[in-house]
Amino acid sequence: MTEAPVIAFFPEASFGSALNCVGIAQQLQRSGAVPVFICHPGFTGVFAEYGFKEYHLTQGAATSQQTEETWQSFVTTHLEHFDLDPKAQLTTYVAPTWEAIVDTAIQAEDGLQRLLKRIQPDGIVLDNVIMFPAIANAGVPWIRVVSCAETELPDVNVPPYLSGLTASDPACAPFHEEYLRATAAAHRRYNSFRKKRGLPAVEDGLFLETSPYLNLLLSPSAVRYDRANPLPDDLFVFLEGCVREEARFDTPPLPVNDGPLVYVSFGSLGAIDTDLISRMISVFSAIPARFFVNVGGFLEYYTKVPDNVYLGSWFPQPSIVEQADLFIHHGGNNSFCEALYFGVPSLVMPYCWDGHDNAARAAETAAGIHMNRSKWDDAELSTAMTKLFSDQEMHARLAAISSRMKSDLGTEKAADHIMRVLRPAS
Amino acid sequence: MPRTRSNTRRNHLLLARQIIEVALEKGMSAGDHLPEKVFSEACGVSRTPIRSALKILEEKEIVTRREEEGFFLVVGPEQGLAEQPSRIGEVEDSLAARILSDRAERRIGDVQSVSAFVRRYSAPRSAVLNALKILTSEGVVAQLPGRTWAFQPMLDTPNAIGESLDFRLMLEPQAILAPGFSMDSQKVGLVRQKMQDFLDRPNGRMSSAGFLKLDCDFHAFIAESSGNRFVRGALLAHQRLRQTTQKDMALPEYRLRQSLEEHLDILDSLERMQLDLAADQMVLHLRRSQIRRPKAANRGIMPLGRGALR
Repeated sequence: MTEAPVIAFFPEASFGSALNCVGIAQQLQRSGAVPVFICHPGFTGVFAEYGFKEYHLTQGAATSQQTEETWQSFVTTHLEHFDLDPKAQLTTYVAPTWEAIVDTAIQAEDGLQRLLKRIQPDGIVLDNVIMFPAIANAGVPWIRVVSCAETELPDVNVPPYLSGLTASDPACAPFHEEYLRATAAAHRRYNSFRKKRGLPAVEDGLFLETSPYLNLLLSPSAVRYDRANPLPDDLFVFLEGCVREEARFDTPPLPVNDGPLVYVSFGSLGAIDTDLISRMISVFSAIPARFFVNVGGFLEYYTKVPDNVYLGSWFPQPSIVEQADLFIHHGGNNSFCEALYFGVPSLVMPYCWDGHDNAARAAETAAGIHMNRSKWDDAELSTAMTKLFSDQEMHARLAAISSRMKSDLGTEKAADHIMRVLRPAS
Repeated sequence: MPRTRSNTRRNHLLLARQIIEVALEKGMSAGDHLPEKVFSEACGVSRTPIRSALKILEEKEIVTRREEEGFFLVVGPEQGLAEQPSRIGEVEDSLAARILSDRAERRIGDVQSVSAFVRRYSAPRSAVLNALKILTSEGVVAQLPGRTWAFQPMLDTPNAIGESLDFRLMLEPQAILAPGFSMDSQKVGLVRQKMQDFLDRPNGRMSSAGFLKLDCDFHAFIAESSGNRFVRGALLAHQRLRQTTQKDMALPEYRLRQSLEEHLDILDSLERMQLDLAADQMVLHLRRSQIRRPKAANRGIMPLGRGALR
């Protein structure tokens, strides 16, 4: 291979995964590779705005009206499930979500196969929670990126995936059994699909195998688990964070412009819960701090915004987290890692999935506070924030974590290892 | 007649700033005479408004009046004359700016009474009325019967920005294609230079707010060069509204650079008088700007486009 290698990124349709890949792709571009993105229909243009060529999976027969109806139904069904504990979410939210993920993998397969033939990449970077057989069968090295919490890769010393537990909790084993039961139907269906596409079955509870080439984990050392069976160094590389480059965000002055800066974002999914965010904004109005709140596409729901609060439908997150004194988020792995990277305390209020795991880990490693997303009163929310503003010990610890992460840039490390896979030393 | 009074006052404030700029250009110093005739010619207005503007400068102690002799400069360049224009009218302007910013940030409702403004800003009624008149001239508020004021649509939400782009896509290519398109050659150079300076910034030094200003200036320049007076008027008013109320310009740096390069390409075509090509390039540029991030995304479900789930 003498020409610049073409590397096809295929992130799942979530902002965390998509933007994590952007960070790595920016670095690969500087290393002389040609990163391109395979993207889901709704993400058209997102990667092009960062300067990458996009290839689009076809949407099938779904119209925008049908997508709208699906989302209405999703919100109606699941908004209340976000208030359940992780175990109760297994049957109400996790199982149907795995069914839907398996559906998307089956639906995408033929289109993905065609796209890969067209792109003819030298390597594929898959940042997803499920394997697409077209990738494993493409005949080129594929790299797995685990941009969810480290819990996605099981170990005796690691709490079960999506449990929000600590490893020593006796509830771990029953949770894992319940997880296997809840996901069994989707898992059977998925293994049957894999068989048809010539792939071996994956173990119970797993939907994605280890890459035989390279596996990158977005898991800073400060929150990493001490595994009973360490992951082999030749196949697994831990990254300290994959912070992408963004345009600078100049915080606008607010009518009441005093106090620490708090950034609040629950991701695009969390932004759907406008009632909860309105309730939080009402608490913010009485706290001597400045709040920048990402309300996603729902700006029009809000009126009478308090003088110390600024709402936006999108923030260049790395830029504003860097300026923040506190980051209130849903425990998305990208958000949690960005908070650590910039040494900012986290108030984690998880909705679902690995948000529970990161919330628990933030509390366990004293990188923040874990709080139920809706079961709080005004005083409790206010007290948690005040504690995070003033906890000097935590600030010092986070400053050290930040310094370490910045000295070992995850994007550079990821790009370097990917290039080594594609251009092994002779 | 509050409307007339406030508009006149505003014009005089603008003229007062202009007088300072002319004095600076002419290299005047403290103690120099300010002949009304000279300034009336330089500013292209009669001597009456010049006299009113000089009186404002007298109130601010920037000039002094001597009986039978006229006005004389008190503050020269050495005493900070160049900084004075920003001081003039800052009370009126800053209140208008605060109202505008509060509205764009959804702090105040669609319809407001003057009393509510007086209470919110602890400002005299006259200052509130002046600020509202300024905002009226920007097309941001309109007076309703009685003492209430209604805010006009702004570019304050992703849906509004989407509609703004649709509107511009209809008109901006036509602004170029309408007979009589003509650019001020000196101004082309200035617009081009500003964009080039921004492009020359290193990575990480481009701000979205800085880009928005340049973007509005460029599109307003295209509008004012149009040969169709109605297209020109509608687009200029819209660019003013964008400049004052648009939020959500948080674009990746790559797109900011790409967008500025598209502006420069359009200017290249316009300078070569390839108007058809420039209009097509404008379509491409605006269509690229129309790309919106999905409104919501989650595993196993098709991402939701903007504008849905209202």
